[in-house]
Amino acid sequence: MATPILELRGLVKSFGGVKAVSGLDMTVNEGEIHALIGPNGSGKTTTLNVISGLYRANEGSVRFRGDEISQLPPHTIAQRGITRTFQNIRLFARLTVLDNVLIGRHTQLRTNFWMALAPNPITTAEEDASRRRAHELLAFVGLADRAHVRASSLAYGDQRRLEIARALAADPALLLLDEPAAGMNPTETDALVKLLYDVRDRGVTLLLIEHDMNLVMSISDRITVLNFGTHIAEGAAAEVSQNPDVITAYLGGPLDADFAPTR
Amino acid sequence: MFDLSATLQLIVSGLAMGAIYALVALGFILIYNAVGVVNFAQGDFVMFPSFIAVSFILPSVIVFGSVMHWQLPIIAVYLLVLILMAGFGLLFNRIAYYPLRDRGWLPVVISTIGVSIFLRNLAQIVWGSQPIVFPSPFALQTLSAGGLHLRTQDLLILGVSALLIAFQFVLFERTTLGKQMRATAQDRATAQLLGIRVDRIVAITFIYSVLLGAIAGLLVSPIFTVTKEMGGLISLKAFAASIVGGFGSIPGAIIGGLLIGVVENLGGYYISSDYKDAIAFVILIGVLLLRPSGLFGERVSEKA
Amino acid sequence: MNRRATLVALLALACACIPFVLHSQYMLQVTDTALIYAIVVIGLGILLGFAGQMSLAQAAFFGIGAYSSAIASTTLGLSPWISIPFGVLVSVAIGAGVGYPALRLSGHYLALATIGFGIIVQLVFINARGLTNGPDGINSIPPPHLGTLALDTYQTYFYVAYGALLLSIYIAWRVKHSRIGRAFEAIRENEIAAQAMGINVTHYKVLAFVLASGFGGLAGGVIAHMTRFISPDSYSFDQSVIFLVMLVIGGSATITGAVTGAILLTFLPEFLRPLKDSYIMVYGAAVVVMVIFMPEGIVGLVRRLIPTYQTPPAAPMRATSNVADSA
Repeated sequence: MATPILELRGLVKSFGGVKAVSGLDMTVNEGEIHALIGPNGSGKTTTLNVISGLYRANEGSVRFRGDEISQLPPHTIAQRGITRTFQNIRLFARLTVLDNVLIGRHTQLRTNFWMALAPNPITTAEEDASRRRAHELLAFVGLADRAHVRASSLAYGDQRRLEIARALAADPALLLLDEPAAGMNPTETDALVKLLYDVRDRGVTLLLIEHDMNLVMSISDRITVLNFGTHIAEGAAAEVSQNPDVITAYLGGPLDADFAPTR
Repeated sequence: MFDLSATLQLIVSGLAMGAIYALVALGFILIYNAVGVVNFAQGDFVMFPSFIAVSFILPSVIVFGSVMHWQLPIIAVYLLVLILMAGFGLLFNRIAYYPLRDRGWLPVVISTIGVSIFLRNLAQIVWGSQPIVFPSPFALQTLSAGGLHLRTQDLLILGVSALLIAFQFVLFERTTLGKQMRATAQDRATAQLLGIRVDRIVAITFIYSVLLGAIAGLLVSPIFTVTKEMGGLISLKAFAASIVGGFGSIPGAIIGGLLIGVVENLGGYYISSDYKDAIAFVILIGVLLLRPSGLFGERVSEKA
Repeated sequence: MNRRATLVALLALACACIPFVLHSQYMLQVTDTALIYAIVVIGLGILLGFAGQMSLAQAAFFGIGAYSSAIASTTLGLSPWISIPFGVLVSVAIGAGVGYPALRLSGHYLALATIGFGIIVQLVFINARGLTNGPDGINSIPPPHLGTLALDTYQTYFYVAYGALLLSIYIAWRVKHSRIGRAFEAIRENEIAAQAMGINVTHYKVLAFVLASGFGGLAGGVIAHMTRFISPDSYSFDQSVIFLVMLVIGGSATITGAVTGAILLTFLPEFLRPLKDSYIMVYGAAVVVMVIFMPEGIVGLVRRLIPTYQTPPAAPMRATSNVADSA
């Protein structure tokens, strides 16, 4: 039986007078790959930003594993087990690939300022364990050979993988991905798909925003379709793609036989 | 304790000092809007022209340790100073800014600090360390009206500043050059794509900024006496004024400057004269804590 | 790593011999001052170099440390070995108090708030005559004693300053290579991503600020008991600017850079003295030249020339303003 890991109810987020998200309900089940799609401006990234705590919701609730998280700051939400990647890659540019992932381990470590001052067994042990885990994650995403290279010097596709590795370093239960395939060619996208399956197989639930419909349709267990800040459909990929409201939202009108969707 | 005529006089002289802060703040804002950097030498662009002017106005002045007699008619002196400072602005742009234009704000800030150190000590070498009294046709006069004694210099400052601000308004709103300056300040890349010669406009902005500082210096020196340190506190308060008004906003810089000038004057009289200089910064800190965007600034936030 | 550690230890030992080699009282004074400034700059390096937060208030904390330890030694009659740590405590307390509200700001706004704070602090030093003796300053500050030996010459005091510097370097190094240091650097590089990775950004920014204030306070206490006379003039905004220049010229992201910059820029005026009055001018021009041609400071330049010491290739310092990516 599917257990929800993330539940949004009646979520509202406005900026000034503009409602980017207006009364959104969404359920993400544990262990699934869930896609959030919709035309540009439908509120997808805003929703992700609210879930991750970057924005504060004006109304509504966000429940993660049953706990209300909608008013928590981003770092607390990360500690609870939700991490993310960003639409415009946000790496720690001048730090090494390895350091980027090590920073991802922050929530899993306990050393504070005083402990840092003098060598002690707890710190040494957790630093060693962190390093091993970081190397393991780099190998997992295929960046093991570039651990000591500056993050900003990586190729675009590799930077996205690094962001994923970093987000995984926090041992999240839920990973939010904002357009992970943006700017990728078909080969890179295939590699990404495989990586995402591997991540799911490790027990992490995935919620991703994507525009690449092939990717979405092939990889997602369930899809939520947004338009104008609220959901117009939610369910398994097959049924959502037949939904007339969805088709209208994407194509602007009922399908004409001559104008079959090209994607 | 409340003395009406004293208060009114304080308000007028406060407005005058505030107008000086406003002019210097305007110089800051223009450079900041154009290139994203705060010019730590702005105050020295108030100080240096004052020294130059004084050398030519006084019948005799000590330069490099020897007495010189270079006296020229006042109008000629003011013109000379403005021309020299325009040239200086160009030099400043070329040497201290241009090589660093792609390096982010910190290196440029350090560079302007270096220029500031250089200028202050150049002034000391050329003119010595003694403060010089700047004669102005209006320096010691006061105008009396209905029991109020207003310093003529203050009225001159207010008059000239008002003219300058009007001039700037016309420049920015009605002339092509002004529009180019605004376009460059708002979005450099697009301005370049539109064919605007951005480097040139930036240089012009620098020159204009330096001239604003120079004019402020010429206006305020009769009140202050000319020393190599005179630019320091003025520029810091002007910086504070621009934040109070909303960093990046031109009307904000003006209102902020006037506000600080008046409040510090009144505060210095009614609250404490020892801590008068602190008042501008207490206001600043208050604004930063309560409303960092200032009076006219835009709320800035980062897109995820 | 072990080779490096040995080199560092040898260097430290060699430096400890300086008072036996240098006999000029004047040069020893400059040396001691340089070591003390290095402590201040290391503090600024943690705040600005590691965590990317601008502060122009280091001189204020330098002064707070100097004044509180001086008052403790003179008025309260405490031993300098106690009043110097006391000065650190006072600095840290004020740093925490100021840091919490101030660090909600960033970029130019934060810089301005620290400038304002610094100016207010100096005005307090000048005007709170009952406490600080006003513009006349505090004199007759007692030197520390080791048993019966008074550490009142530049030669003997060298070891006080040197010890404090070594302690500072140790603390800064431990911080840099810990989870704390990584969190600082994450904040510097990308604050939003740092938050998303679970870093409580406000907490760490305040921590960095408190560390900077602590180092400033330590340096202040140490210098007060060396010069044995302090006055408000030394703790001005201009002095904060000098500390900033030292850090950037030396190389802001490393401890070595902080120390190098402080030592170099304390000695530079001495080398320029033959130029008599124009030496400060040349100093100012030198600052401009150095910042143009050495984007990562001196340390960055050295690293580029000596390949074995290259860690990730460093790009020119682009301190991002976390307020908005404008201009």
